[in-house]
Amino acid sequence: MSKTEQPTEIRTKPFRRLFSGEGWFGFMLTTPALVAVLIVVFVPFINSFWLSFQRYDLARPQNDAFIGLGNYIKLLGDPRYLGSLKASATFSLVSVVFEIVLGIGIAMVLNKSFKGQGFVRGLMILPWAMPSVVNAAMWKWIFNADYGALNALVTQLGIVQDYQIWLANPVASMSLLILANVWKETPFTAILVLAALQTVPEDLYESARVDGASAWQQFFLITLPLIAPVVMVVGLLQSIWGFHHPFELAYIVTGGGPYSTTELIPLRVYAQTFRSLRFGYGASIAYLTSLLLLFPALAYIRYSYKKVLEY
Amino acid sequence: MLPRLRKLFLYLIVLLIVVWTIAPFLWLIISSFSYQIDLVSIPLQWIPKRITLDNYQQLFLYKGNFNVNAALFTSSITNSMVIAFTTTLLAIVLGVLAAYALARVKFPGSNYYMIFMMGAQMIPPIAIVIPLYVILRKLGLYDTRWGIILVYQSFVLPLVIWLMQSYFATIPSEIEDAARIDGCNRIQALVRVILPLSGPGLVSVIVFAFIASWNEYLYAFIYSSVDAKTLPVLIGEFSTKLGLEYLKIAAAGVLASLPPIILALIFQKYLIKGLTAGAVKG
Amino acid sequence: MKIEKKGLFVLMILVMALTACAPKAVETEQAAEPVEADPEPTEAEVEAETEDPVVETETITVIFPKHEAEWADVYEPRIKQFEEETGIKVALIQSDWDSVADQIIPEMATGGSAYDVVEFDNGWVNEWCGAGWTTPLDDYMPAGFTDGMIPGLVDLFTCPDGTLHGVVWNNDTRFFYYNEAKLSEAGFEAPPTTWEEFVEQSQSAVAAGVVEYGMDPYWNQEWSLMNEFHFWTYAFGGEVVDKEGCFLFNTDPNTLAGLEFAIESLNNGVSNPAGMTYDQANAQNLFLTGNSLFFPQGISGLKPLADDETISSVAGEIEIGLVPAGGKSLTLPEAFAIPATSEHKEAAWKFIEYMTSVESNVVIAKEIGLLPIWTDLYTDADLTAQYPHWAGFYAQLDNVRGLSTLTWYGDFVDIGQTEFHKALAGVQTAQEALDNMASGLAEFECVP
Repeated sequence: MSKTEQPTEIRTKPFRRLFSGEGWFGFMLTTPALVAVLIVVFVPFINSFWLSFQRYDLARPQNDAFIGLGNYIKLLGDPRYLGSLKASATFSLVSVVFEIVLGIGIAMVLNKSFKGQGFVRGLMILPWAMPSVVNAAMWKWIFNADYGALNALVTQLGIVQDYQIWLANPVASMSLLILANVWKETPFTAILVLAALQTVPEDLYESARVDGASAWQQFFLITLPLIAPVVMVVGLLQSIWGFHHPFELAYIVTGGGPYSTTELIPLRVYAQTFRSLRFGYGASIAYLTSLLLLFPALAYIRYSYKKVLEY
Repeated sequence: MLPRLRKLFLYLIVLLIVVWTIAPFLWLIISSFSYQIDLVSIPLQWIPKRITLDNYQQLFLYKGNFNVNAALFTSSITNSMVIAFTTTLLAIVLGVLAAYALARVKFPGSNYYMIFMMGAQMIPPIAIVIPLYVILRKLGLYDTRWGIILVYQSFVLPLVIWLMQSYFATIPSEIEDAARIDGCNRIQALVRVILPLSGPGLVSVIVFAFIASWNEYLYAFIYSSVDAKTLPVLIGEFSTKLGLEYLKIAAAGVLASLPPIILALIFQKYLIKGLTAGAVKG
Repeated sequence: MKIEKKGLFVLMILVMALTACAPKAVETEQAAEPVEADPEPTEAEVEAETEDPVVETETITVIFPKHEAEWADVYEPRIKQFEEETGIKVALIQSDWDSVADQIIPEMATGGSAYDVVEFDNGWVNEWCGAGWTTPLDDYMPAGFTDGMIPGLVDLFTCPDGTLHGVVWNNDTRFFYYNEAKLSEAGFEAPPTTWEEFVEQSQSAVAAGVVEYGMDPYWNQEWSLMNEFHFWTYAFGGEVVDKEGCFLFNTDPNTLAGLEFAIESLNNGVSNPAGMTYDQANAQNLFLTGNSLFFPQGISGLKPLADDETISSVAGEIEIGLVPAGGKSLTLPEAFAIPATSEHKEAAWKFIEYMTSVESNVVIAKEIGLLPIWTDLYTDADLTAQYPHWAGFYAQLDNVRGLSTLTWYGDFVDIGQTEFHKALAGVQTAQEALDNMASGLAEFECVP
């Protein structure tokens, strides 16, 4: 073959000899990424993981000691932590359900042709494109009890009579946080599913229509299975992010209130690490949560890959 | 009649989607052009009686002259641009190769690799922020663009690998086999056949990787102070002991959202069917 | 397609090379450049680098937040003057109050020596003393340096071992403000002198439709909620902890009274119930629209703000009073401190001395109304002419108090804010909140 891509040629030439084993090839391609992630994730992780087995309170260094599972045991009985776990679980899982349903729905719509299609597709990314601080500040202002846009809107539309103090009510607060999160994150799902929809060949639908399949049947039997891998991955990612990422949103909009009912896990880690200066305990909060997430995530991956293979 | 009704229905849904997506942002824009006293009045005026450029001016000028703020603002935009661009580039190159290998090549440990990458996603940034701080200081990368670019690989790379791997998985291997029978080696098959077919997927991943880097806050905040400060961090500083300076944040936020949107508008045309039509035939 | 891809690759290489070679890309701590007041820092940086004289100029790295009134560039020109007068270069890092701690802590926690002068907030004093992060300034201070300084400000930054660790640069004392126009419209001549009067005047004015509420509080669940905890406790003569850190808050009836007053005010029309979700900026915004009569703990720069028509519709209506019943006002000062790991302590001290000197106080006060730390300046002819409303501050300044100084203040806030917020929401009583705080903080009982 003629010289097409110089860089790839240069990279593969020395290893042509090793081509006999596909394994080597696989290693070559995947190692650079591995090394990068090792340095910036794994190494610091080891350090802070080690810290999580110690009492390491910077304000009281005289008490520092190795305490094994002490932090973790304390966590399991810490009502603030358990509360935040519950809050994060609610927040993340409810968010993801909406993100996926809305995301797939929006993607299906955007997949059809209509005037201004390109513009709408580009515009879709807007919520995701906003810096998280701006997003949080915006929603805080919208949810303001006295001069917020939400109150103005719902009273003008007649949905409620008086201005409500939304953020003073635990259920309303959590719902509004989820609303803000879904608004921000749905484009991620929508656009990735839209891209996946592009790989579904048109003729599949044609032959199904010829066979007399309804729109719903087409969706469930053709579309869904084919976009399933992407949906699975995106869904898992969004769930994990829902646990570990929405720091600014919760911190700025509710501060964890009312009375810690929307206190998500990142807020606990931050409070313990940066405000109470308990580095060991703060690390253990993070890792216990990750551990708890790991099992369902692993099971989910295994299940989803099985399902995908079935198709 | 029915197709017409359908079309109408479609446009209605599209309108709904657009409104849902834009409404809060529209309010942000309106706020950014308003005086605070007007925004705080009850009942709320949706269309402001008077508009002002004060909030935008505050970002750049003081008493009519460019002040330090202008320099900070422009330098932070530059930093954000360069960092996002380079991070994306690096992550795409490394990530696509890895994703391809995972989707197609059976090599020992590929399962563990996937799990490792997933594990990387599951470690909350706030937990490793401080040890990573030490590493960056020791390597002399604190408050440098490359330091942040490197750190960003921690969440962009796994993202790219995961997503591209799933897109590659949807492409039937027959296509690739056909290409290799024609004489392409693996890499050539990847570049000339697989990548174009997963074009829409690749494009969306690029856009998301860019935006994720553009908007990232925590790492940029901790690992920069003066030189490598990015736009989200600068915006995050618009607060006082009393609370956030909402109007300044709104103005800066509107400006900060523009580059990603422009990027998305440019790239969205690659999200079309044409690339794959007719690719698979029997 | 071939050419496109080749071109793209070349572009990739170019960009990577560019970012690697960009002037700001690679930095070492020592070479951190001072932030210039002109809009082209890169030029100045390049100039400075190429100059590279044989004479070593010491560079100190200073980090502190912007003053809340600093809409102008006030500190930077002053710092430039310091550089000219002493020849010590300053690499200045300024951000906002909330972020500064998060930037300093990783460095301090990992024993780094990147900073020479750091922000030292009154809430952190005992924690940092316990961690040993700051240097006693007694070794660098000339004798009698603190004579003439407001005594309270000196005490607040003294570590338990008696050494001074910080010198105040932001005398953030809070004051009692009221809307005089609306008060007289409601039929009252003078602001309240007791808390009963406070309630009475509020309810009267609300009933008359003059205002919506007596006050718009800021009781969002956040760090500063515990500032409010302290204020209401002190206002009713209560105590939080004693000198040894033993709990008084759960047994002192005055503390209980103060908290109950605050909680009750949400129900009897005195306080805006939405205040449970507001931070001080939100509350201040409302006060400045004439929504309420009183603002018990406003910043010292509130009156000038009230005269700004883009944010206030009550220009000229705001006056300064005294906290009713002889209650204490909070003082939440911020100081400069020198990290124990700094390698330029002498130069750092010179910076602190210069920036907190009488001269600097005068210059900065003239620009942005900074409250001085030197008692004599409150009777300075020029300043009082420029800020006639300072007259309203004098009486209160004799009656101020700071937050509790505890090594476990972070935990105090962490547990306290949730319990207090629960009580404000009416989910538990004030006494229950105090008891829960006591049990949650049990391990710190009698730990100073």
